[in-house]
Amino acid sequence: MTDWLQISSNAVIVAFFLYCFSFIAYAVAVGGSRFSNREPEVHRKRWGNIGLWLAAAGWAAHLVYFFARWAGAGHIPVSNLYEFLMALGIAMMLAFFVIRFAYRHPLLGAFALPLTIIIVAYASVFPSEVQPLVPALNSIWLRLHVTTAVLGEAFFAVGFTAALILILRVTDFSRTDKAGRRARFWAEFTLVVIVIVIGFLVAVFGFRAAGYHAEFRQETVTVDARGNVIEQESTVEYGLPPIFKPYNSETVSMDPFLGMTEPLFETPSWMNGVNAGRKWNTVVWSVIVGLLLYGLLRLIIRKPLARAIQPALDGIDPDDLDEISYRAIAIGFPLFTLGALVFAMIWAQIAWSRFWGWDPKEVWALITWLFYSAYLHLRLSRGWHGIRSAWLAVIGFLIVMFTLIGVNLLIAGLHSYAGVS
Amino acid sequence: MALIQNTKCECGHQNPVGTVLCEACGKPLDEELAASDSVLEMRYDGMARRSQKPHPNLIDRIWNFFSSVRVAVWLILITLVAAALGTIFPQESAFVNLTDPAAYYRENYGTAGAIYHALGLSRTFESWWFITLLVMIGASLVICSLDRVLPLYRALTRQQVRKHPQFITRQQVVYVGPVPGDAEEWTARFAEILRRKRYKVRTEGTALLAEKNRFSRWGPYVIHIGLIVFLLAVLMRGVIPGWYMDEYVGLDDGEIEQIPRTNYFVKSLGFRIDFYSDEELPEHLKGQLRVKQFTTKAVLYECVAYCDDATRDPELREVASHDIRVNSPLSYKGLRLYQYDFAETPRLISVRPTLIDKRTGRSYGPFELPMRDPPLTYSVGPFTLELKDSFPEFGLDENGEPVTLSREPNAPAFVFVIKGPGLPEEGVPYLYFPREADRQRFGQDRINGAAAEMFDIRVMSMEDVEFSTYTSYLNVRVDRGMPYVWTGAAITMIGLVMGIYWNHRRIWLRIDDGVLSLGAHTNKNRFGLRAEVAAALAKAGIEVDAKALDNRRKET
Amino acid sequence: MRRHKSVQYLILAVMLLIGGYAVGRSFASSGDVLRPGDKPPSFRLADLQGEAHTLEEYAGNPLILNFWGTFCPPCREEMPALQQQYEAWKDEGLQVVGINLSEDRHRVENFIRRIGVSFPILLDTNRRTERAFGLREYPTTYFIDANGVIRQIVSGPLTIEEIDERVKSLLGSA
Repeated sequence: MTDWLQISSNAVIVAFFLYCFSFIAYAVAVGGSRFSNREPEVHRKRWGNIGLWLAAAGWAAHLVYFFARWAGAGHIPVSNLYEFLMALGIAMMLAFFVIRFAYRHPLLGAFALPLTIIIVAYASVFPSEVQPLVPALNSIWLRLHVTTAVLGEAFFAVGFTAALILILRVTDFSRTDKAGRRARFWAEFTLVVIVIVIGFLVAVFGFRAAGYHAEFRQETVTVDARGNVIEQESTVEYGLPPIFKPYNSETVSMDPFLGMTEPLFETPSWMNGVNAGRKWNTVVWSVIVGLLLYGLLRLIIRKPLARAIQPALDGIDPDDLDEISYRAIAIGFPLFTLGALVFAMIWAQIAWSRFWGWDPKEVWALITWLFYSAYLHLRLSRGWHGIRSAWLAVIGFLIVMFTLIGVNLLIAGLHSYAGVS
Repeated sequence: MALIQNTKCECGHQNPVGTVLCEACGKPLDEELAASDSVLEMRYDGMARRSQKPHPNLIDRIWNFFSSVRVAVWLILITLVAAALGTIFPQESAFVNLTDPAAYYRENYGTAGAIYHALGLSRTFESWWFITLLVMIGASLVICSLDRVLPLYRALTRQQVRKHPQFITRQQVVYVGPVPGDAEEWTARFAEILRRKRYKVRTEGTALLAEKNRFSRWGPYVIHIGLIVFLLAVLMRGVIPGWYMDEYVGLDDGEIEQIPRTNYFVKSLGFRIDFYSDEELPEHLKGQLRVKQFTTKAVLYECVAYCDDATRDPELREVASHDIRVNSPLSYKGLRLYQYDFAETPRLISVRPTLIDKRTGRSYGPFELPMRDPPLTYSVGPFTLELKDSFPEFGLDENGEPVTLSREPNAPAFVFVIKGPGLPEEGVPYLYFPREADRQRFGQDRINGAAAEMFDIRVMSMEDVEFSTYTSYLNVRVDRGMPYVWTGAAITMIGLVMGIYWNHRRIWLRIDDGVLSLGAHTNKNRFGLRAEVAAALAKAGIEVDAKALDNRRKET
Repeated sequence: MRRHKSVQYLILAVMLLIGGYAVGRSFASSGDVLRPGDKPPSFRLADLQGEAHTLEEYAGNPLILNFWGTFCPPCREEMPALQQQYEAWKDEGLQVVGINLSEDRHRVENFIRRIGVSFPILLDTNRRTERAFGLREYPTTYFIDANGVIRQIVSGPLTIEEIDERVKSLLGSA
């Protein structure tokens, strides 16, 4: 059993590095054509193929992770946030391959791979230990529900990727009117958000590697449904230096950081989710590190990121991107409906005796579904192709990510997986 | 749209008002549209929709409102925002027992919580405005579909093979060029190529119409029908008596309870918690207690006589038994019992105490003493015990009088009068606490005084104690709407697969004076159609790059 | 076109009906809690002598229906007040019925004997009647007029004066 788990965790590392190499190959394919002495078309094809082979090898390793963990844990690994995000990564690669081969688009990987890399890295933020299943999760319908839903979401992710390329491709940097400035701002803003997500990963893994630790004792007062006041004392552990300490807490221990020996601020009282203080502190750190990273990038390349990327996208046809984005979402929609709604309802009916209970996670799955159905309806109308539809795909993907992760972190409900930090 | 419009096409066909493309030959009817060379919008093949009528009255206006896709999208987006608001704080329905919601939200979420509750957002999903939104979406589903499906059906079943050149050359995928060889022969050859690609082909001289996967056009309407069935099923559950029930039953081990508002009784033969064994746990969790499964061994009874008669015990017949687990309910004739919750509530069910005559040292019994509804007299050896009073949860009131603090046997006490040989006529009162802890706490021997010198009543071994450790809570559901709910969901899924994973493809062509005009249209996946047309043309001797067929490229 | 029009009207009418019903239902009070103006649910319960009684037997005259238990201190407190008012008004037609909250019979008998209650006491079993009435607190007293309609619901103990006031309004309205 332990052997399987060892194989599994090694495979993840292999997969991660292969994905990174694949991304580098794709980046060379996209960006390097100007420096190559070959024909641009030949150069792209060659490096695009290298990227694809590396991605396929990475995916194979990722599948080894999945099945080895399945064998080791005795149940399909989709029951906590770590396993879930890993499954999302696997599904995203599958969706990428499907779309890649349907459209034979050589450069889609340049954007799909970094997204997968971020997801895999993000998964590793969460505790990766195998957890025994709680009784409610021990159902075939749960497994069908999660795997199918994840596959649908993976296609939405690929749709998002194509939409993002489209946005970067068509943003006009020569326009100086208000609409042109706004378009540029939002294109750049999207990239800043992505850099902040990377900043989050850098901060978490950086301080984790340095072994940073701080601990607080927090007193919380809640009132239960019958009106009884409940006072609870709990220990909150930080892996990042506390810019914000938990509300109403005392410092138990804290490693100094850059001369900072005490928390600078207290988390406001109205943030009262589970471990709100730690989450808020992490968000602040992510923004700080992300903006530092962004500043650094700007210093190096001396122009907005979107502008720096655009020339590399010259050879890509915007109409094809629009079509790819739409198709990916259309393919994902029935899968998402089946997995996130129908199978989820069947499972809920068996496990909790009602197929629908307006639990936050259920509601957000419905919101995602409503949003994409609005998207599909708008595609029927004139004027909702191209850039506008691309922005919808971006917003849709934000909703997907909020449903998958945000709901677990911000709103407690039946889906609060074990091991969410 | 001009109210007075000439709707007669040059081909002689009389079209209804609102028609964009002639129903017969496909020529654009609007003069402005006919003059331009943009790609044609092929929605419903340019047929007039029902809602496009001159002089709409109020009913027409309502109809038109709900038939608009724009309105549908707005309804979806408003519902989406409303649903998102409903998840900010927990809904009231998430609590089983919320006596004062306003206070709860104020105290736990501060001012924001108070506002949330005051706005009614704490009951979003039951509120009239949310239900109204759902009803409007339902109306939109019905009317949008009806408004489009009939014209579309008519358009697709009455297609003419020979189309107007404008119609052909203004499709998404277009090819215009010379035909190699004889026109009729080429057309026949091309038809054969398309047939091999599973197209249904009709020809009329040198004009051709090829079509496949028409059924995928019905996908959206099938989806809408599924959703309507789903919504109606959900609504019906609340309307038809007996279709829906949601009750809870708490059962101690061995206890039998009537399921509220039914003729059924359920008995628990015991509740059990299974934990993962060390072998099943990963390294870092070994030695910890991790719950693997909750089980209530349950038996379901149906009452066959004296059911509503409180004056005598009902007559029960066993109808089903099942080990109810999470994810495995007991199911009987539409009634389902789910493992819902449990509480650790150690309670006595019955004891079998022994009466000890301290004067002689002899003991009598044991005798059966149930905690609920105990008999009033007991014969124990030569003695008779008369039950004068009992206290499920013994306590003293403010006057020092013995009272019971609840009706649950948490600290049971029994007042007996012992009668028999060597005792006064009126007997000797004796207070008995079956639980050793209560006996010490309340001082049984001190209260009994002289009687404690003569008698002792106690349980001799644990075998004489029957007790329940847990109360198992079962959720009892009847949901006769479920088959319809699943039917609706299944229809929706079928529609989705039909409409999205297949696409309707049509190819028109005509050859005039040796020049081929070919147009092709699909509702999805232009890419695939382009490739298919290019491949078919190549086989028929016309080499053309798939991308060059795309008509939009000429636009920009 | 005529036919189409009537079909159109029919569809709209059906949708209005179903939709109106769905929306209207959201206004209706959820749950089984009784409110003034409701009719109480019927019951058939045994008295201390083991004879069955139904709610319908008490129709035609004002009725005070009191849910009580020996384990509930305010229930014990208000019992003498109920007894006193029963004696004062029974000749005017007032009926008082106490429904015990599913306790053992001998406990109820002991308590009734000690207080000296003379109005009928019925025994609920398995909390069935209590659930049907949607009781949240003990004691709860229902003041029901001669037409069988609940006029007032009081949770918590009642004093002699409070009962008096309500009985007068019950008898006055009859």
